Amino acid sequence: MDILYLLIPLSAVLVLGILGVFAWALNGGQFDDLEQHGEQILDAAVDSFDKHQDA
Amino acid sequence: MAGNAQTSPQLDYSDDAVRGFALAAVVWGVVGMLVGVVIAAQLAFPDLTYGIPWLSYGRLRPLHTNAVIFAFGGCALMATSFHVVQRTCQTRLFMPKLAMFVFAGWQLVIVAAAVTLPLGITQGKEYAELEWPIDILIAIVWVAYAIVFFGTIGIRKVRHIYVANWFFGAFIIAVALLHIVNSAAMPVSFWKSYSAYAGVQDAMVQWWYGHNAVGFFLTAGFLGMMYYYIPKQAERPVYSYRLSIVHFWALIFTYMWAGPHHLHYTALPDWAQSVGMIFSLVLLAPSWGGMINGMMTLSGAWHKLRDDPILKFLIVSLSFYGMSTFEGPMMSIKTVNALSHYTDWTIGHVHSGALGWVGFVSMGSLYYLIPRMFGRKEMHSVPAINLHFWIATFGIVLYIAAMWIAGVMQGLMWRALNADGTLVYTFVESVKATWPFYVVRLVGGLLYLSGMLVMAWNVVMTIRSGRAVPSPIPRLVMA
Amino acid sequence: MHATLAGAISGAGHALSNDLQVLDDAIECARFTRWVPLAEGRRAAESSLRIGGMHCNGCAVIVEQALRRVDGVLDAHVSAVAECATVQWDAARTRPSAFVAAIERAGYAAVPDTAAGARALRRQESRDALWRLFVAVFCAMQVMMLATPSYLSTSTELAPDLKQLLDWGSWLLTLPVMLFAAAPFFTGAWRSLRGGHIGMDVPAALGMLVAFVASSGAAFDPGGVFGREVYFDSLAMFVSFLLGGRYLEMRARHSAALSLEDAIGRLPETALRENADGSLASVSVLRLQRGDVVRIPVGQAFCADGLLTQGRTRADESLLSGESAPVDKVAGDAVVAGSLNLGAPVTMRVERVGADTRFEAIVAMMRDARGRRPATLQGADRWAAPFLWAVLLLAGGAAAVWSVIDPSRAVWVAVSVLIVTCPCALSLAAPSALLASAVAMARNGVMLRRLEAIEGLARMRTLFLDKTGTLTEPQGRGVQMVRIDRGPRWTDAALRGTAASLAAWSTHPLAKALAKENASSGAAWCELAETPGQGMQGRAVDGTVWRLGRSPAQHAAAIDSDEVEAWLSCDGQPVACFRFNEVLRADAVAAVRALERDGVRIALLSGDTPARVERIGRLLGIADRCGGMAPQDKLVAVRAAQARGEIVAMLGDGINDAPVLAQADTSLAMGEGAQIARAQADGVLVSNALQDVVRARSLAKKTLRVVRQNFIWAAGYNAACVPLALVGWLPPWAAGLGMATSSLVVVLNSLRLAR
Repeated sequence: MDILYLLIPLSAVLVLGILGVFAWALNGGQFDDLEQHGEQILDAAVDSFDKHQDA
Repeated sequence: MAGNAQTSPQLDYSDDAVRGFALAAVVWGVVGMLVGVVIAAQLAFPDLTYGIPWLSYGRLRPLHTNAVIFAFGGCALMATSFHVVQRTCQTRLFMPKLAMFVFAGWQLVIVAAAVTLPLGITQGKEYAELEWPIDILIAIVWVAYAIVFFGTIGIRKVRHIYVANWFFGAFIIAVALLHIVNSAAMPVSFWKSYSAYAGVQDAMVQWWYGHNAVGFFLTAGFLGMMYYYIPKQAERPVYSYRLSIVHFWALIFTYMWAGPHHLHYTALPDWAQSVGMIFSLVLLAPSWGGMINGMMTLSGAWHKLRDDPILKFLIVSLSFYGMSTFEGPMMSIKTVNALSHYTDWTIGHVHSGALGWVGFVSMGSLYYLIPRMFGRKEMHSVPAINLHFWIATFGIVLYIAAMWIAGVMQGLMWRALNADGTLVYTFVESVKATWPFYVVRLVGGLLYLSGMLVMAWNVVMTIRSGRAVPSPIPRLVMA
Repeated sequence: MHATLAGAISGAGHALSNDLQVLDDAIECARFTRWVPLAEGRRAAESSLRIGGMHCNGCAVIVEQALRRVDGVLDAHVSAVAECATVQWDAARTRPSAFVAAIERAGYAAVPDTAAGARALRRQESRDALWRLFVAVFCAMQVMMLATPSYLSTSTELAPDLKQLLDWGSWLLTLPVMLFAAAPFFTGAWRSLRGGHIGMDVPAALGMLVAFVASSGAAFDPGGVFGREVYFDSLAMFVSFLLGGRYLEMRARHSAALSLEDAIGRLPETALRENADGSLASVSVLRLQRGDVVRIPVGQAFCADGLLTQGRTRADESLLSGESAPVDKVAGDAVVAGSLNLGAPVTMRVERVGADTRFEAIVAMMRDARGRRPATLQGADRWAAPFLWAVLLLAGGAAAVWSVIDPSRAVWVAVSVLIVTCPCALSLAAPSALLASAVAMARNGVMLRRLEAIEGLARMRTLFLDKTGTLTEPQGRGVQMVRIDRGPRWTDAALRGTAASLAAWSTHPLAKALAKENASSGAAWCELAETPGQGMQGRAVDGTVWRLGRSPAQHAAAIDSDEVEAWLSCDGQPVACFRFNEVLRADAVAAVRALERDGVRIALLSGDTPARVERIGRLLGIADRCGGMAPQDKLVAVRAAQARGEIVAMLGDGINDAPVLAQADTSLAMGEGAQIARAQADGVLVSNALQDVVRARSLAKKTLRVVRQNFIWAAGYNAACVPLALVGWLPPWAAGLGMATSSLVVVLNSLRLAR
């Protein structure tokens, strides 16, 4: 199972990378006030394409 | 604001690549499914293609898998990711010309596959058959794709990054990593190379790639699609946005180590197989969390399913997703796998996920997207969407039922032993017994293909009576 | 969305538009703005505003866009859910008035947000906790994957160098856990050790450190003194569980703070503004503008900073300055928002306005509440220290004993002992329950200032009740006037008007009812004085001295009546008598019955005439009733009960109840009552429903039960698990699981109360 000498360090690096991404997201406020963001994509003001559609 | 003809180009979304990929997805969908029907027919009627080398089963099968996964699925993902990232970030694509390069490059990859695979040029690794020059092209196109996608997120006007983009982003990065590691090869001529890994080591890398290709290409990417188009079509927000974030991170945690479940009872060490089994079972939880989150979005509005065939596609796709993500862990249990490995049950499992989850969510999303890309609110014919849905669903049911029965039957027949330890059945006997189910499966596949043809017709009619208008990035109106 | 806030400040035509300049005032500005550093040594100002009138996310986006368009605004972030905005601006290019004006032009209202500081702190704490939890759980998951092969394979299947690879990988992935996730345990332990005592983080930190060091030794030197077994997976797992428990407890604490802030935000606060034509308008304090003339009755807080224009009085500024002796104020003196008017009704002119003035007082109240530790908690703290010493000694002893029996296990047994003990359950037992209970009570109409009140409510033996305004509705129904002096000097209407205008200066429930029922004559008064329990007095423009209040003693016999009365007299001569129909609160009888059934002795103490108190007492079935009591008399009664060893609670509303509320063991003030009563009580009955007192008591009793359950669980768990760990039957991973589960059980048990 020598291939693990590749796969395990690779996954360790991946883990550190993922931790870095999470830290960046957390500090950037990505996880604050979560509930409103589900609605945001539905706002007519946000996506005017549908609002101003004509067939 | 509506009729503002003088919106300058800078203020419009950049949708040329979206349009291109969306239409390409439909075209390659038909092609890939057609090849699938051909090979299904070949399994039932082996002399169908008169021994023509370029149409032999061995060469057409990888063409089918590559076409449906990378051509159909890939184009659908690229179309929708470019569409979603712009709308959720409220900004144009980063480097729109590069996006067109991605489009052209990806079509080139597909055409190259369509040419080389029937010619028998292959690396022999499942879902990674393409030879090294094409692998390099894929890497270049993929890097460009990543630049456009992440660049767009970088220039976003909305601070929060919508959850769908996390799924798309993870899919892009994971596929890049998997492709580069697995395709490492030593070329000996322009169309021939040898894998950098050998024997059981290669098997481990291959199925680390293979399963994560399923996990990130076919799951994470399409979950991104689901998290945007279901709320948009249902006009309701995701059931629990918080859960969708948790779902994302939970999936990331666990996917990396499920690969060994493809190698049960092979030369892989027993403990490695067990690790794969355990973590495949663990995967059940986050997968079902996502499914429930998506379905419950319709909570309080289930009546919409009655009249809206696009929602039917999207919601039913989730039930197939749930089914597959339950079936998969079950099949990764060693004792179950001892029965199912190498049988048609595996094919049934793959196709319930592929036709049910991947196919349906793509179709639903494309039905939402394509009219809007051509200045219309709806497809040319909504009843045709409904027709497509029912034909395709019926086709899937026939397909997977046939394969389940065939698979279990094969497994039982292969392990049946006489009292003195000899096999009861010869291999060819099991093949003969399977034959009727191959025919039923062929019928199911034909139905699914017909549905796709209905979709193609509907798309053509929609484009013909629409026009590709630029869509303005909304400026907020002050009272 | 806050009805109060939105309704108060999003008023068309009465926005703060004229007054935006005040926001630029440095002192005012400092209340809602702070400096943030930018790159290259520059800095930007960051202001926090509450936004009114938003009803969806689209509105938030509109406000954000409006802010961003202002020259000098560097960044703006608006939250629709929290109804607030954070604006980063360049002090050289713009001022707060500019961007607040921009918000108003967009159709929304904005006021400075001084709760922002507390919210920001909570957000930072929440982010830190989430980060640590994520690191711990994510790395624990990966480490578990790397550890699984060792569990699943026999020693021959897994090649030694491969096992070493897996161990090194586990070590690497445990580093983030130790460095980031587990840091609070180490810093907490270090702090307490430096302070010279053993804190509850010490055993946990010690256990983690020992486990990590021993596992590292086994990973890098398998043949060495630490053996070859590694426990990185257990370590990562129990750090995760511990952090999970703490995260839940933090969420409970934050939601308690948030709901208390919310509940406070809903207490209506009005001011009596004198209009130019002399008429009175009762307006929300949020609508006040600079230059408004406002009347401040006795017992109310000054609603804004300003200058006294008329009258003389004494003000209690203790809430703000800590100085308890009242300060004399005459016309022309400055008065401070939040201080209490003790002496006489006065008028003031508003100089500085802001939604924060009342809030600051409340914040002080809450800080007060949080800072004090009720007796239950102090008890737990006292024996935490010896307990922890015992744990350390046991662990050391176990290590010593096991190093003789089986040296390879010595370290792990010691680690298990250190980890399995859960002093945190003991210290969480009471606070988590009290906090959850406070949240539930706030939802049920009782807002607590001091957590001790919960104990008092549960254990009270005697409840003293005030009558007027507490047991009875403050606004009586129907006021009748009976002329005493039938002379021609005044008409009926004139007398009603005079009485009403005098009554308008008082906050007594009867005065309010009178003022409500009769149109005020709008007369101007000077030399106003209110004597608690006696009445109101003032000199009219024509020099006559009028009194409105308790009947003069010598005329008590002349008109005998069962109803409540207020006598109007001019220059000492009774002129008219106003009779009020007194109405019991709808739930009074039921509430009294319920409390008595629950074993509480009810006593009625009232300043009203004995005859009327008799009547009410009979109606309610209260045996212990006493009328004609001055505030001093009530105090004596309470002290007597306390001397008998009873735990005494008091529910009142009036100014004259304030000293009694302070004396009782536990006190509640009616939400409609005088501010001074509310400021002195342990809690406020914001719903004004007596049944909520019954509910609060049963909740309080339940809380004490939960606290007891928590303690029993914590003690029992330790008693059971420590011996198991000592004899080596508890591997470290099980110890970690046990410790975390134990804390979680306590927190979850307490959270039941908040439901």
